Amino acid sequence: MQAKLLRREVLPFMLAFAALALLALLLDALLHVFNVVWIGRYLGIPGTLLILLSFVYSLRKRRLVDFGQPAVLLRWHQRMAWFGSLLVLVHAGIHFNAILGWLAVWAMLVDVGSGLTGKYLLDRSRRRLEQARQRMRQQGLSAEELEERLYVDSLTFDVMKQWRAVHLPVTLVFAVLALAHIVAIFLFWGWK
Amino acid sequence: MKRGWLLALICANLAALLALVFIYPHLMVSPGAVVSGHAEIATDCFACHAPLRGASAQRCVNCHVVADIGLRTTKGAPLAQRKLKTSFHQELIERDCMACHSDHEGPKLTQRSRKPFSHGLLRPAVQDRCDSCHVKPADKLHQNLAAGCAQCHKTQAWKPATFEHEKHFVLDRDHNVKCVTCHVNEDYRRYTCYGCHEHTLQNVRAEHEKEGIANYDNCVECHRSADEEPGKRGGREGGESKSRERKKKH
Repeated sequence: MQAKLLRREVLPFMLAFAALALLALLLDALLHVFNVVWIGRYLGIPGTLLILLSFVYSLRKRRLVDFGQPAVLLRWHQRMAWFGSLLVLVHAGIHFNAILGWLAVWAMLVDVGSGLTGKYLLDRSRRRLEQARQRMRQQGLSAEELEERLYVDSLTFDVMKQWRAVHLPVTLVFAVLALAHIVAIFLFWGWK
Repeated sequence: MKRGWLLALICANLAALLALVFIYPHLMVSPGAVVSGHAEIATDCFACHAPLRGASAQRCVNCHVVADIGLRTTKGAPLAQRKLKTSFHQELIERDCMACHSDHEGPKLTQRSRKPFSHGLLRPAVQDRCDSCHVKPADKLHQNLAAGCAQCHKTQAWKPATFEHEKHFVLDRDHNVKCVTCHVNEDYRRYTCYGCHEHTLQNVRAEHEKEGIANYDNCVECHRSADEEPGKRGGREGGESKSRERKKKH
C-alpha cells in the first residue's frame, strides 16, 4: 500500500518538480556553452506571458469568461504554468543580484510546488470518488442511496478547498513580487 | 475570518517588501554594486537612469564633462598624470558611454562588468594613430619595426598577432624552428638560412654555381617555401620539389 502511494502520488509530484529544476539547469548550461546567456535575459518575457495565459483557466472557473471546457483549460493551466516557470527559472539563472527578483523567483517556485500539490490532490480525490462509486454499485445500492453516500465522499473535495486557501495567497505573493520586478525593469532598463 | 487575517498579514508583508524597494533600491532592484567612484550615488538610481529609457549618456556627461575625461576630475581638479588611455574620449565619434561602460558589477558567473572597447567608436583619423594611446612594446621585435601596427595586429585584440609569415616564407614541417634560428639576435629585419645544418654556405654555393646562379644572397627572393621550384608559386605544379629530390637520393 505504501509502495503504491509512493508510486502513484509522491513520485509523480517529485518528478515534475525535479524535471523543472533539472531542465532549468540544462538550459542554463547550454546557454553558457554556446555563449548566448543574453537569450536567458529575455526568456522572462515569454515565461511571464505563458504564466499569464495559464490564468484563463482561473477566469473560466470563476465564470469571468465563458469559452473553453474547464477540464481542458485546467490541463493547459498546468502545462503553461509549468513551462512558463521553466523559462522564468532559466531567466533568473542569468541574474544573481537583485533581491526583489530573487524573492519573485522563490515565490514562483513555492507557487509551482503548491500547484503540483493541488494537481495530485485533485487526481487522488477523483480516483477515490470513482472507487467509492464502483464499490457501492457492486453492493447493489439504489440510485438514491448511491447519491446520499457519495455526498459524504464528495467531502474529500474539501481538501481541495483547503488547498485553494493556500494556493491563492501564494499566487498573490508571486504576482505582486513579479509585477514589482517587471515595473522596476521597465523603469530602469534601456530597451535597445 | 481566519482567512481574512491571513490575507491581511500577507498584504502587510508585501507592502513592507515594496517599501524596502524604495528605501534600499541598491539592494532590492540593482543588478549589482556600482563602481566605487559612484558609491555616493548608489541609492539614487535616477542619477544615471532616465525613467523608462535606461541609463542615459546625457546624465553621465552632466558630471563627466567629455573635454575633461582623462585630464581633470569631475570636480575640475587637474589629474597629476595625464592618462594616455582615457584621454581619447575627446576623439569619439558619438556619445555612447554604455557601449563600453557598465556601472553595475555584472553577475560574477556570467559577464564582465566592463565591456571591451571598440576602436570603431574613434574618429577614422585617430584610428590609424595607434601610438596616440598605445606605447610601442619595448622588446627587440617591436623596437626594430617601422611598419604600422595594423600589419600584424587587429583592433579587436592585440593577441593573437596576425602576421602572415607565409607571405614571405612558408614555415612547413622542415622549418618548424625557433625564430632565432633564422632571425639571429631577434633582429627581424634580417634573416639567414645558414642557421641550421641542412644549409651551409658551401653546399648552397656549389648547387647554385652548377646552375649558373651567381646572386644567391637573398634566398626567399626565389625560394618562398621549401616545397617550391624557384621562381614559381605553388611549387608542386613545377614537378618534383627539391626537398623531395633530396629525400629520394637518400
